[in-house]
Amino acid sequence: MKVCLMRAALLFLATCTPLLAAAPPLPAEHLTVTTLPPNTPHRVYVLDEAFNNEIDARVHVFDGDTYKRLGQIDAGFTPGFNLSPDGKTTVVGTTYFARGSRGARTDVVEFTDNATLGVTHEIVLPAKRAMTLPSYFNLGYSADAHFLYVSYITPAASFGVLDPAKGTVLDEIDTAGCVLVIPSGPDRVSTICESGRIMTITLDAQGHEAARAMSDAFFDPDKDPVFVQGIPTSAGYAFLSFLGQVHEVDLSAAQPAFHPAWSLLNTADQAQSWRPGGTQVGAIHRKSGKLFVPMHRGGEGTHKQGGSEIWVFDMRTHQRVARWPLAPLKLSSAIAVQVSQDDAPVMFVATEKADVAVFDALTGMLRHIEKQLGQTPWLFMSP
Amino acid sequence: MRSMDRLFEHSSRSLARHTSRRSLLAMLGKILTGAALVPLLPVDRSSRAQAADAGATGVPAHKPPMKKTGSDDPLSCDYWKYCAIDGFLCSCCGGSANSCPPGTAPSPITWIGTCHNPTDGRDYIVSYNDCCGKTSCGNCECNRNEREKPIYRPSRNNDLNWCMANADSNYHCSVSVILGVAEE
Repeated sequence: MKVCLMRAALLFLATCTPLLAAAPPLPAEHLTVTTLPPNTPHRVYVLDEAFNNEIDARVHVFDGDTYKRLGQIDAGFTPGFNLSPDGKTTVVGTTYFARGSRGARTDVVEFTDNATLGVTHEIVLPAKRAMTLPSYFNLGYSADAHFLYVSYITPAASFGVLDPAKGTVLDEIDTAGCVLVIPSGPDRVSTICESGRIMTITLDAQGHEAARAMSDAFFDPDKDPVFVQGIPTSAGYAFLSFLGQVHEVDLSAAQPAFHPAWSLLNTADQAQSWRPGGTQVGAIHRKSGKLFVPMHRGGEGTHKQGGSEIWVFDMRTHQRVARWPLAPLKLSSAIAVQVSQDDAPVMFVATEKADVAVFDALTGMLRHIEKQLGQTPWLFMSP
Repeated sequence: MRSMDRLFEHSSRSLARHTSRRSLLAMLGKILTGAALVPLLPVDRSSRAQAADAGATGVPAHKPPMKKTGSDDPLSCDYWKYCAIDGFLCSCCGGSANSCPPGTAPSPITWIGTCHNPTDGRDYIVSYNDCCGKTSCGNCECNRNEREKPIYRPSRNNDLNWCMANADSNYHCSVSVILGVAEE
């Protein structure tokens, strides 16, 4: 047998060696820089907090059709990030230390061109930027992109008004007892208050405070707090509560209007202690009015626990229309969810094991699992 | 019960005979101070449980060391004092449950929680301080959120980097320090 094998090997070598020798050499290569493909509705920006080495957060740019990583935007330490209203710019509010992990602190907003992923300019901030979990409300543009607002917490609460075109800080506005920045219209900023109210500041043309007003309380922060991870609706945001109430806030007028709250849970769900939870607790496909929420079973203190299922609701009827369990798909709990806004939407789900799953948002069919998209993917932004 | 009564009566009389009023007050003061401090100290009560076992039988306990349950172990996320901690446990990073690792600095501002100690049945107010000045430890991540509130209630929120007001505001790890017994 051994002899046979040796003969075969010799025969192979004798036959193939001239062919190998005759193959033309590989051509010399040119080093290039890849150009980003054109934007699509299924491109998603994934904030990786890099919690194990937190000075090195980044935003991964990921394609929900080809499942390729398209590039990266660096994001420093405990960043906030957002997209411009036209989706062409990513803004990252972050902090750097002069010696890497220590030394003089610089808080800064960096602007990245989403066509090239190059940083175009920056605005240095006072050292007051809110260092906290990312949400839509760490920093955000006015609807006309004329102003950019940045949340400050020292822990005294205020926010900065920036001119993104001129690269200047215009003002700082005190919001004692109320935090974060929820932009609406060209000149309004709302903040969430510890009393369960919303305070809205209206600015003048120079970015200074012109008026402020406090709403009635729309939730009870003691009995059933809302997550600050508001979900964009057509006219404002929906805030989910720890116990599964949906508070829709209309910010289209000068003062917020509150729709009657409704529950994600029926009686049986409540008996089984189903709750929303995670770092990005819902996403809404605005055209169809579908709400996607990671849900888990748990008690008090489980509000950051990921969902074992994604529940889908019709925002108009307030009815659950689907339940998509994740365990049969070999996925760990869902901590963040996002959905694209086109007519063939995809849903992105980040798991506790840092995988990102891509679903058909209409059917719940799993299309792809991207293993380990970073270390701690906690927030998706979709244009 | 009658024998117990006799024992206490005898002890009291003996104590009265051999002790001046001043020294009695001094001794009582020490006992009371000690009693007041005991609940404040993060002691490992499993060893006390072993001693109690030995005392009950009158012979030394030759059992292997009692395995700590999660709620007694400062290296475990289940440790009772960590009921609303979100971050890396300093006890796994060169410090302890209530001390920062070498070369870091404690945050002077903090968030506050109330945790139940199953060993003595008391609720304690604890301060969750961050230790600052080095990059995140990356060991023993622990995320518990009992009675934790969102950032609009900052003093009850564990999502903020509480190193924010330090000269070096980089976050390294978190500790849990008993402030006192929570009132009913």
